[in-house]
Amino acid sequence: MWWKALSVVLIVYSLIAGTLVPLKPGITYVSPQTARSGQQLVLQLHGYNSFYAQSPANDIRVWLQYDSAQALTGQQIRVLNDTTLEASFLIPTELPRPTASVMLNAIIDHPADGVSLLPSAIEIVKDSIASQANWSGSNISGLHVKKDFSFPYRNVIYESIRNTYFHVPMWFVLMFLFIASAWNSVQFLRFSNPAQAAALDEQKGRSLLDFDRKAAAYAEAGLLFGILGLITGMLWAHYAWGAAWSNDIKQLMTAVALLIYLAYFILRSSFDEPEKGARLAAVYNIFAFASLIPLLYIVPRMFASLHPGATGNPAFGSEDLDNTMRMVFYPAIIGWSLFGFWLAQLRYRYQRLLDKATGLD
Amino acid sequence: MKFFKARIFFTIILFLAISLPTVLAQGNRDYMRETGKINVVIGVIVLIFIGIVTYVLRLDRKLTKLEHQLKDDKNGWTN
Amino acid sequence: MLFTLLRKEFVLEFRQRYAISGIVLYVFSMVFVVYAASIKVQPQVWNVLFWLIILFASINAVVKSFVQESGARQLYYYQLADPAMLLLAKIIYNTLLLLVLSLLAFGAYSVVAGNPVKDIGLFALILLLGSLGFSIAFTFIASIAAKANNSATLMAILSFPVIMPILLTLVRLSAIALRLIQDTSYQRDIVNLLAIDAILITLTFVLFPFVWRD
Repeated sequence: MWWKALSVVLIVYSLIAGTLVPLKPGITYVSPQTARSGQQLVLQLHGYNSFYAQSPANDIRVWLQYDSAQALTGQQIRVLNDTTLEASFLIPTELPRPTASVMLNAIIDHPADGVSLLPSAIEIVKDSIASQANWSGSNISGLHVKKDFSFPYRNVIYESIRNTYFHVPMWFVLMFLFIASAWNSVQFLRFSNPAQAAALDEQKGRSLLDFDRKAAAYAEAGLLFGILGLITGMLWAHYAWGAAWSNDIKQLMTAVALLIYLAYFILRSSFDEPEKGARLAAVYNIFAFASLIPLLYIVPRMFASLHPGATGNPAFGSEDLDNTMRMVFYPAIIGWSLFGFWLAQLRYRYQRLLDKATGLD
Repeated sequence: MKFFKARIFFTIILFLAISLPTVLAQGNRDYMRETGKINVVIGVIVLIFIGIVTYVLRLDRKLTKLEHQLKDDKNGWTN
Repeated sequence: MLFTLLRKEFVLEFRQRYAISGIVLYVFSMVFVVYAASIKVQPQVWNVLFWLIILFASINAVVKSFVQESGARQLYYYQLADPAMLLLAKIIYNTLLLLVLSLLAFGAYSVVAGNPVKDIGLFALILLLGSLGFSIAFTFIASIAAKANNSATLMAILSFPVIMPILLTLVRLSAIALRLIQDTSYQRDIVNLLAIDAILITLTFVLFPFVWRD
């Protein structure tokens, strides 16, 4: 019973922390978004979740960065309000690269908000491409780090980074449930020869068909979480990647897994004798589950993945998940997994009651 | 669970899920992309909630049926 | 023993010639439909359509391997011979059958839709590996599906998800043979394919004892 309470506590915790903890400050856009070389540029930077007015303007530093060594330093910084900052730049006549235009990143360092960065914020154009210059000389160092409980700011996805705690655990629950289902199918086949089955009967109240019911219940709950993961993923993808379906490995694998378990249920229900149906369904469950594993190695060679940890690895790299997110993400996974097993167990208990009532067991 | 017809309910939910994003994207305001796309998170949470509640409701209905079955013939118990 | 069983499969096929002629006709009809439905076939489309034809023809060719003989006769075989040997004979026979079918399909298809294959050696290897993979997966699924009543539909439903890794690798490899994509490390795909075949055939022999007995 304790684990059911734990699952509720963890899910409620992840819901509250996942929705209420603020995002770190970031830069949404700068204006103007293009400038000419040799120009005196007055740039407005628009922040997200920022509190620029909390510090005196001469403690704030602004750069337009070309690469790790070359950048322009902003002068005469003015704070218009909490989310708007103005800085002027004298853009050199020569660009650091002999091309017609370069993209620069905007960086703001603020004593209270910490450092925030917008990649490819502004484009600098130039008429001739004959020569180039070195932009070194501005020193980006001594940056402030915001040390409080907040989630990282990412461009394009913004607040929807919180979906990490709601959409991603669905995929983990699906995996755990399908592994449990395959394991119960293995157990069913192991105990299915007459000698073993007799030994099983002597243990109180356990019958061979229990393994089949468990396998089916776990598969059904896994199917539910698979569908939820797919639908929520499509909603998120529509607003983060621009398309609901993009032949991503994880989308493809979930779709194939759902097909397998739908076929499993059709196979299981197409026999009159329950023992025969259970046996063949168990065989198919193991066969199909094992044939799903190669997809993890094959598909990454064919489709580029938009998901983090793109090489088919279900875990995240360290740059995708910081320590603050881990404190919500891992409890969410544990909570949802326990909840999935709880649902599956309810389904299994119902099926056992039904079979008892109809005299099948 | 007689107070609403499950099938009609699901049809409405499905219809809303398909049509809402298009409706919301009409005009100059895109509600899903406003305020840092926070509504996408709300949408995801609501979808998960609907999915799980649907599953539990189905189980509930099956259990009710089983209860009726058991009430009808008490001889159904073999154990 | 294996040889006897293999000969039994050939003799059986020869006696029921209508079955094999049916499959061949099926392949030719599908090729003709592709020809009739499209005026000019681009190499990308050629690749996908070719594997679709092979996929459906293979399912139809393999589905009968356990259905064509009655349950009583099957049981008789299982008592005479080792069930694993019986399955192995069927897998080998189906591999040969599918290889012949895919060569026929390739021939007919290149006549009506052109032959964009640049690397014939690689393509032949792909056809062989494809026949092997399809044969292992489909023969085993057919043995499961044969136990149910509606085996033809069940066969298709059960085998599509299982065949996915093999099919995706085959389409990619044949795109390399058609020079649609450049990849010098395609040997890794071939190793992948062999690894999948190894996994499937191991599982097949572990699980088959649970399938055949009733």
